Amino acid sequence: MKKYTTCLKQIISVVLVVIILVGFVWISLLRINHRLDFTTLWGYRYRLWQGFKMTLIMAFASLFVSLFIGSVAAVAQKAKFLTVSYLAKFYVQVIRGTPLLVQIFFFFYIIGTAWGVDNRYVAGVLILSLFEGAYIAEIIRGGLESIDRQQFELAKAVGLTPAKTFRLVTFPLLMARILPALTGQFASIIKDSSLLSVIAIPELTQITQEISADNYRLFENYFFLGLLYFVMTFTVSLITRRLERKYKHENSSE
Amino acid sequence: MKKFFVVLAVALMAAVLFCGCTEKKDELVVGMELAYPPFETKDEQGKPYGVSVALAEALGEYLGKPVRIENINWDGLIPSLETGRVDLVISSMTITEERAKTVDFSAPYAHAYLALLVNKNSPVEKVEDLNHPERIVAVKKGTTGHVYAQNHLQHATINALSAESACVTEVIQGKADAFIYDQLTIYRQNQANPENTRAVLIPFQESEKWGIAVKKGNKKLLEQINAFLKDFRAAGGFEKLTELFLAEEKKTFDALGFPWFFE
Repeated sequence: MKKYTTCLKQIISVVLVVIILVGFVWISLLRINHRLDFTTLWGYRYRLWQGFKMTLIMAFASLFVSLFIGSVAAVAQKAKFLTVSYLAKFYVQVIRGTPLLVQIFFFFYIIGTAWGVDNRYVAGVLILSLFEGAYIAEIIRGGLESIDRQQFELAKAVGLTPAKTFRLVTFPLLMARILPALTGQFASIIKDSSLLSVIAIPELTQITQEISADNYRLFENYFFLGLLYFVMTFTVSLITRRLERKYKHENSSE
Repeated sequence: MKKFFVVLAVALMAAVLFCGCTEKKDELVVGMELAYPPFETKDEQGKPYGVSVALAEALGEYLGKPVRIENINWDGLIPSLETGRVDLVISSMTITEERAKTVDFSAPYAHAYLALLVNKNSPVEKVEDLNHPERIVAVKKGTTGHVYAQNHLQHATINALSAESACVTEVIQGKADAFIYDQLTIYRQNQANPENTRAVLIPFQESEKWGIAVKKGNKKLLEQINAFLKDFRAAGGFEKLTELFLAEEKKTFDALGFPWFFE
């Protein structure tokens, strides 16, 4: 009987929340006399689909490149050669400390042009990866530092080579610790890719802005845009929840 | 005790929220995008300045109402009219059939032609040369240049950027063959970048008429605006504006034989 009432409570609460949120948006729309018409989006479905694919491609490409850059930067910070270490630290601090918009303009119109990176898709992926790489570097660094020294001492005592230590000890422990943060970062990559619209890369936000310039239906267009981004990031978080469970089992000895 | 503070906090928040709903002041709210010198821009202190600002203030004087300028980005201008955030839009906006479906336009107060800012190394001589798969066109999102490119330059790659400065930069750096925008701006940008750009100022289509936009159905304000424009023109208001803001450009246009904006 108790289980039934708590379940009922949950359902009622969910319904209430939905009513409150939808109600708030509805009243806001009434206040500005806006007539909703989502069918206006149907005519643009081909371009929206192209934009959706482009966002996914840019985000995925950036994921891999930024993971690489982040790993290198995290390890480089511990390098014995001081210049390398400082370079990595400087990179992380500056990139994390400046807005992506500033970086896009700086790297595309100045550095990119100076060194011949004219293809804006390549430039877009590189800029986004450079940006996210700095955050990933911090995540990895934090993860590495949180691993108990004992683990490494034990590995040495058991006679594991550095390579084996990494594969059997460091990597699984690191994964378990940083996977939640890394997914958050991948969701960020997907959302931050929207800023690439300022250099006219035809991803989802750029397409939506062009459509808005055509039909002025800001509410329908941007609501749908938000929905599409949410679908992408939510899918990512569902996938990583399964991955987290996998790594938790492997480390249950903790 | 805890509950009391919670209730107090909620009451304070509610009070602050409702304070936001003030009564409407009797002022004329004019929307424009302050990114288009010398028509809509800001002075050194950051206050709105330019031809359209002066026109708006003259309108305010005529109607006997104080004027408040709202700086809104280009794509937000028409939606702002629809939702009542601004009363009218004076932003060098071209009257088009598409836009006239959503807003009402005044009688035209100026006319402009589109022109091309071309990269020095590009083979483009006239606008038709752009309609080729190897050509790249930069346009500003939502402008008539963008519409022209979509309708007439289907073979080219069209890059729609949000800022005029980005479009000009792309032409200078050779990332685009040409930027389609109004004659006056193209002329100015060409003057500012003589080593990297050429200007193709010869009109390639009918002139575009600029109008003041009001919310659809706002007949009263529209009539007042049209009456104001008639008076203003008869009193030589547009010549004064030209003298104040566009003296250099008028000389060049006269020398090149192009019709002037306000004729």
